[in-house]
Amino acid sequence: MRHWDNYYRYFPPSIPREAKGGIRAQSKRGSFGQSWWARRWIAVLEGFHIGARLNRGRSYARRGQVLSISIEKGLVRAEVQGSRPKPYEVAIQVKRLTTQSWNMVAKALSQQAIFAAKLLSGEMPQDIEKVFEQVGLTLFPEKLHDLVTDCSCPDWSNPCKHTAAVFYLLGEEFDRDPFLIFKMRGRSREELIAPLGSTKGETGRIKARKATSTSPVHQAATPSEPLSPDANRFWAARRVSDDFYSEVRTPPLAAALPKRLGSFPFWRGKVRFLEAIEPVYAKTSEDGMRLLLGEAETEVVDGDEGADTTEQ
Amino acid sequence: MIVLHAALCNRRLLLWGETPRESQKNPLPSYSGLKKGAALAAGGPAPLDYDAGPEKLREVAADTGLARAPRKTAFTQAIAWVPTLKGIPLASSPLISEAPVSSSQGEIAPWAVTAIPLDVEQALNLLYGCVCKHVLKPGVVVGEDLAYWTVAMRFAGELVARQQFLPDVVKEEEEFRAHWTPVISGPDSERLRKLADAMPEVARALNLEPGIAPSDARLTVLSGFIAQIVDFAVRGSRESPAPSAQTASLRRAKRPSFDNLHDQWLFALHSSDDRLRGDAKLLEQLASTVRDWQRPISLPTSAPFRLCFRLEEPEGNDEGAPGAPDGQDAWHVHYLLQDMGDPSLLIPAQQAWSVDESEALPLKRRGFNVREYLLLSLGQASGICPRIEASLQNAAPEGYKLDVTGAHEFLTEKAAVLEQTGFGVMLPAWWSRKGTKLRLTARAHVKSPTMQGGGLSLGELVQFEWQVALGKEKLTLQELTALADLKAPLVKVRGQWVQMNAEEIQAALHFWQQKSSGSATAREIVQMALGGHVAGRVPGSIDLQGVTATGWVGSLLKQLEGRSAFEELPAPQEFQGSLRPYQVRGYSWLCFLRDWGLGACLADDMGLGKTVQALALIQRDRRSGEKHPVLLICPMSVVGNWQKEAARFTPDLPVMVHHGVGRAKGDSFRQEAEKQALVISSYALLQRDFEILKDVAWSGVILDEAQNVKNPETKQARAARGLQGGYRVALTGTPVENNVGDLWSIMEFLNPGFLGTQNDFKQEFFVPIQANRDPEAVKRLNRVTGPFILRRLKTDKSIIADLPDKMEMKVFCTLTKEQASLYAAVVKEATEALQLAEGIQRKGMVLATLSKLKQVCNHPAHFLGDNSPIPGRSGKLARLTEMLEEVLEVGDRALIFSQFSEMGEILRRHLQETFGREVPFLHGGVPKAQRDRMVERFQGENDGPQLFILSLKAGGTGLNLTSANHVFHFDRWWNPAVENQATDRTFRIGQTRNVQVRKFLCVGTLEEKIDEMIERKKEVAAGVVGTGEGWLTELSTAELKEIFALRKEAVEE
Repeated sequence: MRHWDNYYRYFPPSIPREAKGGIRAQSKRGSFGQSWWARRWIAVLEGFHIGARLNRGRSYARRGQVLSISIEKGLVRAEVQGSRPKPYEVAIQVKRLTTQSWNMVAKALSQQAIFAAKLLSGEMPQDIEKVFEQVGLTLFPEKLHDLVTDCSCPDWSNPCKHTAAVFYLLGEEFDRDPFLIFKMRGRSREELIAPLGSTKGETGRIKARKATSTSPVHQAATPSEPLSPDANRFWAARRVSDDFYSEVRTPPLAAALPKRLGSFPFWRGKVRFLEAIEPVYAKTSEDGMRLLLGEAETEVVDGDEGADTTEQ
Repeated sequence: MIVLHAALCNRRLLLWGETPRESQKNPLPSYSGLKKGAALAAGGPAPLDYDAGPEKLREVAADTGLARAPRKTAFTQAIAWVPTLKGIPLASSPLISEAPVSSSQGEIAPWAVTAIPLDVEQALNLLYGCVCKHVLKPGVVVGEDLAYWTVAMRFAGELVARQQFLPDVVKEEEEFRAHWTPVISGPDSERLRKLADAMPEVARALNLEPGIAPSDARLTVLSGFIAQIVDFAVRGSRESPAPSAQTASLRRAKRPSFDNLHDQWLFALHSSDDRLRGDAKLLEQLASTVRDWQRPISLPTSAPFRLCFRLEEPEGNDEGAPGAPDGQDAWHVHYLLQDMGDPSLLIPAQQAWSVDESEALPLKRRGFNVREYLLLSLGQASGICPRIEASLQNAAPEGYKLDVTGAHEFLTEKAAVLEQTGFGVMLPAWWSRKGTKLRLTARAHVKSPTMQGGGLSLGELVQFEWQVALGKEKLTLQELTALADLKAPLVKVRGQWVQMNAEEIQAALHFWQQKSSGSATAREIVQMALGGHVAGRVPGSIDLQGVTATGWVGSLLKQLEGRSAFEELPAPQEFQGSLRPYQVRGYSWLCFLRDWGLGACLADDMGLGKTVQALALIQRDRRSGEKHPVLLICPMSVVGNWQKEAARFTPDLPVMVHHGVGRAKGDSFRQEAEKQALVISSYALLQRDFEILKDVAWSGVILDEAQNVKNPETKQARAARGLQGGYRVALTGTPVENNVGDLWSIMEFLNPGFLGTQNDFKQEFFVPIQANRDPEAVKRLNRVTGPFILRRLKTDKSIIADLPDKMEMKVFCTLTKEQASLYAAVVKEATEALQLAEGIQRKGMVLATLSKLKQVCNHPAHFLGDNSPIPGRSGKLARLTEMLEEVLEVGDRALIFSQFSEMGEILRRHLQETFGREVPFLHGGVPKAQRDRMVERFQGENDGPQLFILSLKAGGTGLNLTSANHVFHFDRWWNPAVENQATDRTFRIGQTRNVQVRKFLCVGTLEEKIDEMIERKKEVAAGVVGTGEGWLTELSTAELKEIFALRKEAVEE
């Protein structure tokens, strides 16, 4: 198949080298990004009118040609496997807002709890763009000089398909993490959230805390407890109250927890993340019930169980 | 005897055990297969005196669930850090070793023990077998720590069932592993903490390195264990993690290569090898991304607070126009923060919004941003409930108002979803109290003619009409339409809010028009009324609530539900002896259910006379013309007793005992059986001779000790259900109603189909009650089984009044074949010798023979004195064990007397092994101080021993043992005065309970004969014989021969 781009200039379709272990888009077909803000991001790309490069970018993203993505404030760097052995280097630079601008935004956002609440629960508030407009700013890059893209490939078009591929993958990450756009605009999650939700108004006074590991298993070690030499405490268990086990219901919907968290950031697996995880949840409730009831998998029944002990 | 323990060490349960020192063959084990730990090699801790050692452990491992994981048992030398007093380690219980009397506390010291390290699968198999058990089998006791781990395992199971886990990457000793990590949030974390508090120290008291005692916090140890179980259960791996180096390398070879970490992670989440390989930096990055991804869930779970929603109803003016929905938005939902450390502390959201750096509030927690938490939680809740979302338009939302429709929606939908998501929800009491909810229900109304004369049966077809009711009130069609017109989901009726579901009202209206009448058998109506299983009986989507009835069906239901009394019947004329008032009630109750063809379970406490009540029933049937025999199935150990009791109370009834090698078979059995009023047989024969038993048309089938059929899958339970009989009765002294799982089998025998299939029962009752402790299900179960179970306790007020202070009973036992042949041998030898002996020599010989025969009746091992195995060789001991089981089950205390200290020792060993509890034995050799301590402990209020063995001589005088309410005389001292004196130990001042005294004797042996002689001339005996047994030596050789002779019925088959 041959391609004609918008400019009717024939070029041989470069066949990219097979990339191993690259980031794979989670959407199989159709548009990238489920959420409106992800689409909003994609729209920025599509506003460049780069024609067939969008399709190529999409298929790069789905085939895992993007080898890595790193995101810093205002800057995204990526490696994309093209037709040459050495991966191309892509950079997407987004214009950062000034501290003053951010202060204005923070003040406006703290008028309604919903902004912070939605963001923290992984969703972009509907009216967020209005808030930016009110203070004369835009959240998504709009003007040309808001966004600078660059790729080491020989294609003269900028953005090229490699950049497009990275754009699409970022779009998917937007679905999961609405803070991403703020980071690109120069504010980390912590910096953004700290002044919000306080009735005391703005101020970025609260230092951005380093994200502490909060996963239950990563909990800070509890101080040590020496063994008690009291014979009774040593050998005897304390009674667990009768209401220790309360109602247990198997959830009507499997895999509620991972679904709530959304797909894994920049997933590289061959099978899409939630598809790989969900069956585990679906089959596991029954096993758990068995553990809870203390029943072994197969009931072994002895025909003579409980029979007269004197007759042997 | 072994007490099993399990401690968590290096992510493995180490199984070990304690045995009393004397039963240990090799105190210092030397065997192959034991890895000599560093401890021993380096002259580490001395071996623990009570260490069970490898042989014993291996034996136990083979007997427990461990055997189901076929793996070579590996032993390891571990260090147990045990409280030690003056260099002596303290044992876990007096079963192992008596604790030294000392006021000072010991210190933790290291001792070497033999342990089996268990992988998770092995651990689970072991724990499965230990759930709710105190003894695994005679002599194998579940230590409290082991029992504790079963509770922890069940908690982990609950988390898995509720799908509370996430894929994770954890770093352990520089290795990254793919794990499924439990998510413990909200009330679960509180429960985890409580469970950690309950952990016995021994559960974490083992390690492998001498030097430092384990000191991991209990919460850490427990969390680690639960994480492991959850990971294992989710992983669903049935493979073991590489037990040997060889298979490990094989598996490594099989492991596919991955071009990315994510696929490797997925693989490792499902594989038995959970390790992640690759560049440490990249793995670290993956771990950090996982944490990042989990954050929306892990942040709230680690929070010291929980967001709660409290619904509040409109205030005041309770007597507003009934039914009319109150003014707009009069209801409130408030946002509150609940302190996880102190759940009663509820902080309004407002305080969190205004929290200031400088203020000292309960909201301030180090390193915790309460506002971020509140915002995040509200953000999550806003997705569930649009009204919450709307409230977030404020800068500092505190809650929102809602109208009655909104309140209804919150109650019926949102509350549950919010709760499931991990938020706290507080609802008005009238809503959350279970069972008080008023709902529209359908019920059947039966009109039947009034009862007149007999001839009615449950097979009768009766007509009924359907009614619609609100709570208990019947609704007319107009009222229902009026309610439908209100269109309000919540209506206040007489000061109480009632849920009105438009669909339900429609369903009720529709139902009414469709189906207003029907017919069913009276049995089905009974089943429906009691809430038994009635699949598909009610049309439409409306709940069936019950049955109202007039006429004979109505009176029957009233009687069944205990709302009206049934007729008390006089004992049948031919019945010898008199029934106590409560026995009259029990007998009448049996007759009442029998007449209706319903099965009955008489579950009176031991000693209240279940036997006589059943015998009276049989006699009454016979009197009223019943021609067919009753089949009574009981444990072998009580066959003799039944026979004796029948001969005593219903002497004119022909009784046949079906047992023994020469028992009738086939047709001759049927012919013989048809001539009897009662055929007595055993559970063992129920299975073996089922083919001939099932061919007889029994007038009734009675199961004594019916707990023998509690497991519905056993052959004897199937056989019992397969017998044809007019009525069915189950007798048991154990509180069957407490063991939900056991109920189905017994009920299915009594009233087939009432509880549905075993699966229906599991779904409707067992799981809700066992897993959820659902009080509704408990209530329903009581309703449907209650009418068929009669259980009276000897402590019931109405019973106590009927009982004498002291009840004396004789327990007739049979000999085992072994006992019988020993008995015969002794008699043969003695009769020959007696022919020749004279004078003093003869006297001595008579006494010696008496003594030998008594020993044989007690136990072959007693007679032989050979320390041979105990179980299954003595009829008396079997019966005693069964009775003591009931004593223990209801929490009573018992004294067991024997005149032989050898027998006391055998009893002690056997009872300790069987019940896994301490059973002290007081005999002449016990020093005074220890004797006093034994008595003191037995008399003590709380967890003192429940059983106490005494030798007749040592225990017969000068002791005060009033906390016992059972006395068992295992063997007889042929002198009533001495026995009575012993019995009176329990009668000292302070005895408020009735005391049951049982004297054991073997039927058909000298024990029975001498007993008869004493009964015949009680007064004479008391006067003439003093305190000895010498009077027996005065008997002539012919008399003695007669006394010694062994009659046929003495022997079990």
